[in-house]
Amino acid sequence: MSGSRDDELEDDEGDLTRKQRREQARAQRKELEQAEAAGALRRARLTRLGIVVAVVVAVIVVILIATGGGSKKGIPKTAQAKNQTVTEVTALVGGIPQSGKLLGNPRAPVTLEYFGDLECPICKEFTLGALPSLLQQWVRSGKLRIEYRALETATREPEVFKTQQIAALAAGKQDKMWYFVELFYHEQGEEDSGYVTESYLQQLAGQVPGLNLTQWTADRNEPALASEVASDTEAANNAGFSSTPSFQLGKTGGTLRTFEPGTYTEPAPFNAAIEKLLKS
Amino acid sequence: MIALTTIGLGVAGYLTYVHYSGATPVCSLKGNPCSQVQKSQYSELAGVPVALIGLIGYILILGSLLAREGELARFATTGLTLGGFGFSAYLTYRELFTLHKICEWCVSSAVIVTLLMVLSIWRFLRGDARPAGASPSSTGADELEHAPSVGAAHS
Repeated sequence: MSGSRDDELEDDEGDLTRKQRREQARAQRKELEQAEAAGALRRARLTRLGIVVAVVVAVIVVILIATGGGSKKGIPKTAQAKNQTVTEVTALVGGIPQSGKLLGNPRAPVTLEYFGDLECPICKEFTLGALPSLLQQWVRSGKLRIEYRALETATREPEVFKTQQIAALAAGKQDKMWYFVELFYHEQGEEDSGYVTESYLQQLAGQVPGLNLTQWTADRNEPALASEVASDTEAANNAGFSSTPSFQLGKTGGTLRTFEPGTYTEPAPFNAAIEKLLKS
Repeated sequence: MIALTTIGLGVAGYLTYVHYSGATPVCSLKGNPCSQVQKSQYSELAGVPVALIGLIGYILILGSLLAREGELARFATTGLTLGGFGFSAYLTYRELFTLHKICEWCVSSAVIVTLLMVLSIWRFLRGDARPAGASPSSTGADELEHAPSVGAAHS
């Protein structure tokens, strides 16, 4: 009797152990399933995230390519295109008195100082945007004179900046700097593409109507021109300018004040400020 | 996240107003590079002001944050902030390498959208408060189809 009781107890203990083992195994299976489900969910989320990142990158690349165009051409390839640019520039500044970096009647009652970098695309926006109207309305009528001054912003290499600015000033020695500046902006190349080479400057100078190239080449070595670039930079620093285009406007011979037009494509703010100065 | 989005909404709203009114944006930097950036050719994309695109983006992000929280809402926020981050990166590239100007307003929006992106990715990968074991057989796709709701969204 006692022997069979012992057997029953052993069977019970065995049953309990088997039950516990089954529960343990079930719990382990559940944990494993949960871990697998969590892993699958995480993988699914990462996959979705990866797809979104890929789509965003693709869209941005398309936008970059689509907006990358525009003013990228540099010197026109064909003679016809070159002539067309020269015609446009001549229509803008031809017939207006020039003296060094000054455009317009030297005795004009109002002076606008234009601080620019020849490689700066926003300067190009101004030169091709608001400036033509100012030339037509105020400069041709002898009421406004514009002085082009240099401030390095867009040009990455200081040496390149100095070289291109001296090239412009050398054209100014023959009172043709504004042709050079206008041509540079009209044919401005892609930024940071290194398009401003000696060949580029030579071709640009070759487009300036009536420029004596031998004289221009000799004038580029004049130390006074390099000093003039440095002097412009100093003037810009004194005025607190760090970006281009920046402007100073005022009565000729008087104190020029910083002028912020708020737009570079519309002449209206310039017109209002010039009219005010003429009336005062 | 809602607070950040609201600030971003304010920045984009102000820049949209500046674009359409022609006003000069408030800027502490000399020469007002903000104005130069706002008036540049890159201030519009296919004729649509980028400030308006930003404004619409922030409105959508806010909408996704205020929607009932679930896998779908979290995914929507993540997708939108990733898109916003990409667009901001493009605009910052244009500012630094094409225009060589930096606009404080654009930078602030770029920082906001970057923070929103980091937070939304973390929120999306973390998932909801319930462990996945609550429905062990569910996969990500299941959850996306049957997005659980755990109350109102919070930032």
